[in-house]
Parts: sequence; structure tokens; C-alpha cells
Amino acid sequence: MGKFVVIGERIHCISPVIREAMANFNPEPILKRAKEQLDAGATYLDLNIGPAEKNGVELMQWGVKLLQENFDNVPLALDTANMAAIEAGIQVYNRSKGKPIVNSADAGDRIGYLDLAANNDAICIALCSKHGIPSDNDERMAYCQELLERGMGLGMDPEDMWFDPLFLVVKGMQDKQMEMLEFLRMLTDMGLKSTGGLSNVSNGMPKHLRPIMDSAMVAMAMQCGLTSAIVNPCDQRLMETIKSCDVIKNETLYADSYLEL
Amino acid sequence: MPFKRMPQTFTASIGTVTIGTGEKAVTMGGENVLPLYSFDAPIANRPLIGVEVSDLGVDNTLPELAAFYAGADTVVEQAKRAATMPGADFLAIRLESADPNGANTPVEESVALCKAIADAVDCPLVIEGSKNAEKDSTLLAKVAEALQGKNVLLMSAKEENYKSICAAAVLAYGQKMGAESAVDINLAKQLNVLIDKMGVKGENVAMNVGSAAAGYGFEYVASTMDRVKAAALGQNDNMLQMPIITPVSSEAWSVKEAIVSEEDEPEWGPTEARGVEMEIATAAACLAGGSNAVILKHPKSVATIAAFISAII
Repeated sequence: MGKFVVIGERIHCISPVIREAMANFNPEPILKRAKEQLDAGATYLDLNIGPAEKNGVELMQWGVKLLQENFDNVPLALDTANMAAIEAGIQVYNRSKGKPIVNSADAGDRIGYLDLAANNDAICIALCSKHGIPSDNDERMAYCQELLERGMGLGMDPEDMWFDPLFLVVKGMQDKQMEMLEFLRMLTDMGLKSTGGLSNVSNGMPKHLRPIMDSAMVAMAMQCGLTSAIVNPCDQRLMETIKSCDVIKNETLYADSYLEL
Repeated sequence: MPFKRMPQTFTASIGTVTIGTGEKAVTMGGENVLPLYSFDAPIANRPLIGVEVSDLGVDNTLPELAAFYAGADTVVEQAKRAATMPGADFLAIRLESADPNGANTPVEESVALCKAIADAVDCPLVIEGSKNAEKDSTLLAKVAEALQGKNVLLMSAKEENYKSICAAAVLAYGQKMGAESAVDINLAKQLNVLIDKMGVKGENVAMNVGSAAAGYGFEYVASTMDRVKAAALGQNDNMLQMPIITPVSSEAWSVKEAIVSEEDEPEWGPTEARGVEMEIATAAACLAGGSNAVILKHPKSVATIAAFISAII
């Protein structure tokens, strides 16, 4: 399925620094975080502007141009509840390094995001859920099929739908982890691509434990065929694990400097 | 069901390296298909052929080779003659005598020879060192300085001496360099990574991933080249997208089939014909494996491989 695709999650309006930068159209903090993530090995950058009800169109276009002009048309995931803003972002998006990703659709209220992606020749992250967390893999698979059929009906290439199994927090949902991994295996067996907010797994854990738990999860998930994740690429242990797994999976050729590439 | 042709092209492509100057400059690499797969997409630049001239002079025990160089008594004269060889794209000067374990020709003498040849011919040049890593780090640096502006390719930087060759040849004097690894795919990539970290761009580097005469472990060469091209094209691995240049003659003409005399092995036939066959077989196999340039020495091999390339592309 190719090299693992790391989507850097750190340009997110939940961070006070980024929120302020977005409020004032101040490029510096955003460029700094983009550079840190790309230097650390991110392929895609997620640009999350939050609900952005008022100036979403303007803000998203500004963000897309800012990042692509400064970082050689870096491919982006456009992340907001404001659909018009995503569409506007795609209008100014340069595809030379990869299609834009629409983040994200689900089988419930957010299903229209799939139409948005299809209409704009974009990749779409498709959450295998409808109302909250699916109770088991049968439910996950039903939503996956629903999304897949709709996307294909709209003329999408299945490769452009990246299914999110919903990574679950270990603290509280420890008994659901293996089932989620089994679902990833099913997606892989169907030839589908996958992604998700992997660090959700370690939510609520002490800070020093999170990279360890995230790394273990990414390794197990990659073994089950996970093709991408939305993560913090500045987590060195996590990135080292991903690069090592790519070598073990024969997706990248080993060289002594492989961790520096 | 009718047959549907599905060309196997890649979004990634092999990088290009240009050597020489002016109208005679040549470019290797650039394709976005597997080696020689011109039926999938046009090959950007056909593979190149270099003619090797040793600073030890022509081997006069080979009658046809001696005849080609008849009357050319100095290495410079021989280089001028070699540059006229039909099918040749560039000249490869092999500074064999510089080897400290051999004649140990002083650096200044080797540099003077390269300078004299560069002044006498207008074709692109490749300069092959003594194969002694320590000597080559000085020798190739001095050659790079003396041939400034000629855009020559210096072979080769190895793990032991890449730093000085990167610094002198490419960064200081704008020449091109070869990166040599001995049939070791991981080292081939690692060396390119190290060279990249020195600030040398891919467009200045051709890889010599090693070779072996056909029948002498060539399967390792074949699998190495296959893996290099698969990573370069299929995985878009930019640390393996440099074009491959392979010195064939030094391997092919050193195995027993190309050396043993007809007196010792009468049923094998004339020595020279056997050497030519080894050279052709090895070069053709290298081209099929992914070499973007091969270095040969015999006019018959050069003519045959040139015909092979133009027939297949």
C-alpha cells in the first residue's frame, strides 16, 4: 500500500497560539509549526480552523496559500465544520504534491463531506460511525459500506476514501482495542486505505507515557494495514516507530540513516 | 475480451546527470519507466556508452584493439582516437597507474595527463581514479580543480572518501561525481544520503552500484539494480533516483574467459573474441538491469551495444 502517510495535526485552532494567529491572520506561529512538522517527517499537514462560522472562507484560503507558498505546495488536509470554507480552500489549492484531503465525513450528519470531496476531486477521510462511537465491528462495517457505496456512486475512486476506524481511548475502553485492530485488518483485506486520530488512544495518560502507548498502537495498527494517521510528527518515538515499521514492511529501503530521512 | 494495454509508468522518475559542455554534452537518466521499457513510455535519454582509455596505454596483446589504436602511441593520442569510436558518447580516462600498490604515478603527472586529454578532445569526460580510496581523495580533487569548466564526472566517491570528493569535486569546482558501492543496496542508499547531507544535489551524482562480469555473481548485481529502480520509481525514493553508471570493461576483461590464452585453451578460440563477448554480455545485462551508462573498451563491443540500444529504444 506504500509508505505510511503522516498527517501532522499541530495546526489546530484548539491550541491557543494557533487560535490567536488565525484570529489575527498572523503567519509566524503557523509557519513555525508547519516547518517543525515537515522537518520531523510529516507528509500532509492538517489545517484545522475550527468552526470558523464567520470568516471561514477567507481564513481557509489564507491558510492554504500561506502553507503551500512557503513549503513547496505541501499537501494539506482541510479541517473545519464550515463546508464552504473547505470548498474555498480547495479552489486555491495546488495539487502538484498531492490531492487535498477533506477532513472529514461520517455516515451521519457529516455525510455531505463525501459529496464535497467527490465534487472537488479530493480525498475524503470517512469515519466509520454515525452517532458517536460504533458499538462493534458489525456496526463499523455497515457504516464503512454505506460510505463506500455513496462515494463510489458519486464517482470517487475507493483509493480516495481513507476510512477511520475510530481509535479509542485505552483508559476506559481497554477491552475494545483488539476489536478496532481487527477492523483495520478487514479494511486492509478489502484493499481500502485507512487513517485516524491515533493519539486518542493515549488520551488522559501522563505525558511521558503517551509516546510509548502511541508508538505501540501505531506498530500494531501498521501490522494490520493502517496506511496513514493524523498524529503529532514532533513525537520522536512515534516517528521512529513509523519509519522502522515502514522498513520492516519493505515500504522503504533500509539505509543506516533511515531515521534521518 | 479484447486485450487492453496498460502501460506501467510511474509518477516518479530517475534523475538526470549531464556531463560535458556545449553541443557534445550528454545526459543520462530521466526515464519514468523500468529499464528499456520504451513500450510503456518514451525513454527520456537513451543509455550512454563510454569508451575507456587507461593511462597504462592500450593492451597490444589484443590485435583488433591494437589495430584500432595503431599509430596512437601516447595516451593522449589514444584518447583522441577513442573519442572518434563510432557509438561512443563520452570518454572515460582510467588512472590505473596512480594506484599506490601499482606504479603509483604522482598526482601531478596524472593531473597533467587529464589536462592534456581534456585540451585535445571535445567530448564529455569521465575520470576514473586508482580505486585506492585514500589516493583518490587527493587525486580526484586535483583533477577536479585542473578540469574546472569541463563538467567532468569523477569516479568514484566511496564511503571512505566521499567527503573530500563532495567538497572538492562538486562543491568547489562544479564537477559531477560517481557514488560507488559494491553491490550493496543499503550502502548505495546510505552513501547517497551522506552525499546529500554534504549539500550535493542529486543532479550532480551518478551511482556506480557495482558490477560483476556475466557469470561471476551477476545475479547479485541484477537484484541490486532491480531493487534500486523499484525503490526509485515505485516508492519515489529520492535517495535512489540518481542514474546508474557502470564500468563494465574493467570487470569483463579481468575474468579467465577474457584472459587465458588460446595456446592454453585451444578449444575456447581466440582470446580477444572471448573478451568482446564477455564485455557485450555484461553490458547488455547491465543495461537491462538499469544502467543509464556503461563504460566499455573494445570498438566491437561499443558498436554492438550501440546497435542494441538503438534497436531496442
